[in-house]
Amino acid sequence: MEDSQTENQLDESRDVQELGEDPQAKDELSKGPGPVSRRSFVLGVGGIAVLGGLGGLRFVPHGSLVRPPGGQDEDRVIAACFRCERCYEICPRGVIAPAHIEDGILAMRTPTFDFSNDYCDWCQESKGGEPLCVKACPTLALELPAGATPENTILGKAVLNTDWCLAYRLIGCRYCYDACPYEAMGLDSTGRPYVIDDKCNGCGACESVCVSLKNGSIALGATERAIVIRPLDAVQGGESPHA
Amino acid sequence: MLKNNAARLRLIIPLLVLVIVSVGFVLNSGTGTLSALGWGDIVLLCPLGALGTMLAAKLLIPQALISLGIAVVLIVVLGPAFCAWICPVPLVQKIRGIFGEPKNKGREGQQIAIAESSSGGEVVEAEVIAAPATVVKAGEELSDKEKASLKGCASGCDACASKREKLDSRHFILGGTLLSAAIFGFPVFCLVCPIGLTFATTLLVIRLFSGGDVTIALLVVPILLIVEVVVFRKWCSRLCPLSAFMSLISKVNRTFKPQVDTAKCIENSQGTKCGLCAQACEELIDPRHPERGAREMNECTRCRACVDVCPGNALSIPILPKKDKRLEGAPPLQNNDAGV
Repeated sequence: MEDSQTENQLDESRDVQELGEDPQAKDELSKGPGPVSRRSFVLGVGGIAVLGGLGGLRFVPHGSLVRPPGGQDEDRVIAACFRCERCYEICPRGVIAPAHIEDGILAMRTPTFDFSNDYCDWCQESKGGEPLCVKACPTLALELPAGATPENTILGKAVLNTDWCLAYRLIGCRYCYDACPYEAMGLDSTGRPYVIDDKCNGCGACESVCVSLKNGSIALGATERAIVIRPLDAVQGGESPHA
Repeated sequence: MLKNNAARLRLIIPLLVLVIVSVGFVLNSGTGTLSALGWGDIVLLCPLGALGTMLAAKLLIPQALISLGIAVVLIVVLGPAFCAWICPVPLVQKIRGIFGEPKNKGREGQQIAIAESSSGGEVVEAEVIAAPATVVKAGEELSDKEKASLKGCASGCDACASKREKLDSRHFILGGTLLSAAIFGFPVFCLVCPIGLTFATTLLVIRLFSGGDVTIALLVVPILLIVEVVVFRKWCSRLCPLSAFMSLISKVNRTFKPQVDTAKCIENSQGTKCGLCAQACEELIDPRHPERGAREMNECTRCRACVDVCPGNALSIPILPKKDKRLEGAPPLQNNDAGV
């Protein structure tokens, strides 16, 4: 820190010298130092330009994300979330995760879901059905409309990839069917699971138990689990999240 | 003795904050980061984050308003003490020390950086309008909003004018931070805030080891942070809008200010030149002769460096300025060699 300080001071002296050599600056000095030095002005305007450039990210389309309860109004999340990270810190099941830079610079560090180990039960277990993330959000970026329930708040929709699903190789796997808390999965005549879209709210229980990736040798080339939660608009083309 | 401990404490406290936040993250306690530190329902938001989100979302957020009020009160009482005692950025800047840099190039700069006095808001506007063409050429002609922001800055400072007014680049960034949030509808600055990035890095690392969460952000976030505060070494004094916010509010601060007991100061008692306190000050303040420092007393972060360095133990940071030993009581000096 001492270094930087010295550097600071050297810099100041350099500035004064530079100013002294510049006729225009001399003029300014003779008038008495103004409230804003030229370098401050350049740095300040430069900084504002950078902020403006970053602000332009707002108009770069980014892929939609599965948001925690109360985050279904994407504009609201982007506007009010200031990346304080409280929601994913407090999530008792550890399913809320920061969105990655791969999801878009704008979305980076905003909350999304990671269903690899667990699913969102609206804090039924730990809080009796009042999502802690909504409660923890200090800026109302996550806010549930009145009368919101797990059934009518659609976080996303489960999508089953039959190429990767073990059951579609007649292995008889039905973990996702058994895990679904909302009876949003059915079994066809040969015991293969399918998603009942109308009942699925995207809680992630199916994705969290899917074992297809662990059997990569069977489902060759799979890059993700055979059943995953997709954002609503990716599945249905932007239908209202609150049915 | 606080003497030697102050510098160490200023390292330990930010480290402790990082540890508490990390532990809180692992235990899902809801402690939050410095952006929104709290326990249960009591949360103190970053004042800029609070302002930014309210401007961006165009709604009044109770928690944010309360936090803003508390932050203002804290700053009025303590000045920008946050900078020296809690902010993790100086900690990150210690990384510099690892790449052993040439040391002690001397302090000649100190004396040259004489206090610049300045006048009121009209001059600011005149400056802005008469901006050198070189600034404007950068491809970005000043849009109306930018001009508005500059004017906003000027009048904002005008409102809290003191004897010496000075706007620096931080205040521009502060204006840009609030304006960009309002225009683009999201808290733009929060994307790059080094305090946020420090905690983001910490949490990304925790997630990497606890959940195997691999992402490019693990590289991008720390690199951005290092570019901001380590490569660009003057982040705090030149760019940080939070520092600008605090410096504006602490213009009305009257408490916990370093004060010179002129009777003890060896400039008086022994009649020698000293100036150690001014040299020790990382904010380029001169506690003995405030009118001579490159920056004003409202930038004082209460780091206690001046108190610790004073050979005559003349400096203290009292809760309220003592009447007879007021800082302002030091004989004002018109030029550099009058102080002997």
